[in-house]
Amino acid sequence: MAATLFRDEKIQPAPGKAGKWAVLLDEDMCKACSFCLAICPVDVFAWRTSTNKIGWVPIRVAHEENCIGCMHCFQICPDFCIDVVPKAPRP
Amino acid sequence: MTRLAEKYLRPSQIPTKACHGCGIGMIENWILQAIDELAIDKQDIVFGTGIGCVGRQTFATWGGDNFGGTHGRALAIATGLKLAQPDKKYIVVVGDGDAASIGTSHLIHAARRNLGVTVVCEDNMVYGSTGGQFSPTTPSNSITNSSPYGMTEPNFDPCDIVKAAGATFVAETSVVQWHQTIKVLKLALQNDGFSFVHVRFPCNENFGSYALGSRDTKKSLEWIWENTKGQKANGEPSGHKWETGIKHDASNSRPEFSKLMRGLAERVGKETRQRELAV
Amino acid sequence: MNETLAASHRLVAPWVDWAARIKQGKWLLETGTYALTEGAIAAGCRFFGGYPITPATEIAENISKRLPMVGGYYVQAEDELAGMHMCAGASLGGLKAMTATSGPGFTLMHDAYGWAITNEIPMVVVDAMRVGPISGITGAPGQGEFYVARYCTHGGNFETIVLSPNSVQEIYWMAIDAFNLAERFRTVVTILTDQVVADMQEDLFLPDDPAALASVVVPRRNNLAMPFFPVGSSEIDVAPNIVGRGTGVCVSTYTHTPEGYDIEDMDAQWAQTERLINKIRHNKAELLRYEAIGLEDANVIAVAYGAPSRTVKTAVLEARRRGVRAGFLRLITLWPFPDQLFERDASYLVCELNYDGQLVREVMRAAPDKNKVHFMGKSAELHTVAEVCAGLEGIAQAGRMPPQPHIWTEVR
Repeated sequence: MAATLFRDEKIQPAPGKAGKWAVLLDEDMCKACSFCLAICPVDVFAWRTSTNKIGWVPIRVAHEENCIGCMHCFQICPDFCIDVVPKAPRP
Repeated sequence: MTRLAEKYLRPSQIPTKACHGCGIGMIENWILQAIDELAIDKQDIVFGTGIGCVGRQTFATWGGDNFGGTHGRALAIATGLKLAQPDKKYIVVVGDGDAASIGTSHLIHAARRNLGVTVVCEDNMVYGSTGGQFSPTTPSNSITNSSPYGMTEPNFDPCDIVKAAGATFVAETSVVQWHQTIKVLKLALQNDGFSFVHVRFPCNENFGSYALGSRDTKKSLEWIWENTKGQKANGEPSGHKWETGIKHDASNSRPEFSKLMRGLAERVGKETRQRELAV
Repeated sequence: MNETLAASHRLVAPWVDWAARIKQGKWLLETGTYALTEGAIAAGCRFFGGYPITPATEIAENISKRLPMVGGYYVQAEDELAGMHMCAGASLGGLKAMTATSGPGFTLMHDAYGWAITNEIPMVVVDAMRVGPISGITGAPGQGEFYVARYCTHGGNFETIVLSPNSVQEIYWMAIDAFNLAERFRTVVTILTDQVVADMQEDLFLPDDPAALASVVVPRRNNLAMPFFPVGSSEIDVAPNIVGRGTGVCVSTYTHTPEGYDIEDMDAQWAQTERLINKIRHNKAELLRYEAIGLEDANVIAVAYGAPSRTVKTAVLEARRRGVRAGFLRLITLWPFPDQLFERDASYLVCELNYDGQLVREVMRAAPDKNKVHFMGKSAELHTVAEVCAGLEGIAQAGRMPPQPHIWTEVR
């Protein structure tokens, strides 16, 4: 196990790893726990600035292109907000 | 909501009533993955729960048949249900209060009988729903809502109790161990007998505010991380090191309770009919 | 009983008709516990979850033998609390279920009662009362759970059905009746009996024609569609819900919606309560069961239920022989309380097996003049014919009873 659970300093995705994943985040289900933002090793998430339907200022997907498909955000989200799925291959 | 949530949960009950930062929803996500990976049909699972955060925040989230029992009695209800509907899989999700305090008697006897249920004891080591009083699993000396001078009572690990009582599958993880949790949940669900999966999770609102001095969600989850590893970020030993992993696996080695009862009913029923025919 | 008196004898209960129609069977000399067990089996009970306790232990003993014979399950629970919860689970899964206990165990069932009542789960609970508080005199009868049986759980906002037998034959029929009412009203029906009726031995006619029994037993049906809880409605004969058939039903401790999940608003609380209270109150006519003699011209009416009613009845007949215009009223349905049986402006002598006065308070409330309601409380032993007769004579002639040893008359 690494020293800490969360990485405040994000890393650059390794070449060839990023850009293949769709990060689907349901902003109206988000309760702003910030685990996804904190656990993501690369820079995918950011805070929104407006309140969502359930009264929280949620997380949003800022840089989907950085996602390396580690699935940590999917596993750590307590509110069924995030799905990470392979992007459909380009024809 | 996610694909899994759409497949298995009740849309009107999502988002759940859980606090932000609570681990209950994470564990539920892993339960859904375990079910999905085993390809068990929603109709074949009965979801049971109790009182308290773990009870209230999960009750009715399950899209299939589900029940929320009185405090501590979910396993007693499950015993009757399992006999009436033996072919269903039962997932009983209960907290440390419901399972390890008020409901411990029924936990012990369900394990003794080897009742075919999977108990997921989601343990935030505090009575969260009532504001953060200590529980039988609270770490020693913790300051809580009802232990302002530090918890004086000793605690225990419910895994030891159920193992001694005869459980055929016992495992423990924490909420920073999602792969391990999904793995043990799958093993638990495949044991035709009493399975007990103990998952420690953070309560940032109540345990965090009293015992850790902060309601910050990340601090509570980091605390779980440290005590799962036994080490803080700076390399110093943490306050505790929880024993995680599969603690006992005697899956499918003992007859399951409802099977024993059905066997008796079949044997006696047959003898009775033969006797009646002979008269 | 002379002819006039015999003509005024009324027994209102469904088993009057059943007993007249069902003639094929055998005669035994048996106990109340035996009869209850056979009645439960005949009614289709296939699950018992309970804990042994005097004087209900023989029910567990008998039924542990009988249930496997008919493909049912006897589970000896770790305590009464678990036992009744197991019954709730089994019934929710589609099996008719029953538990049996005495006062100390009945007390532990409060929580389970609430769960079953709020979720409209049919089952039968038998409380064979004995003198208290707590263990009291272990082998002696009592009637201390009259109110507890009505207020069987916490929180208010419900009605409940409680019946009480006074003979071995009657407890057999009542078992079937209790299961039928449990199915029809989707609730817990309590049979409040006592150590005497449980343990005594009398003639028992045991029907053995399955077709005849099938004609009186209400079978278990399963509700497979919404609404799982018809909140706001007082309809009965709604099929019970079932878990394990993929209907998506939710069953819990909370105030709920028609789907069964928890909701915290006033409309839902009101609608749920309307159902739980009115399904019983609006259908009281289906629940009235009693026995009466000589009410039409009585000056003083002796009121009792359960075992004490046996000697009280004899006392009433004796009093009549001595010229007292006495009447006899035996309650079989205790709850919902049959107010309509107390319309006559006569004196009432309430005989019950407790000293604190329970049934007498309801009679005081229901009768036209509470000052004419007298209390003859006794504990641990049945009222004797002589005692009750002396009481009836005293009230008829002087408006009050003579003091008698170990007879409590005060109600405050």
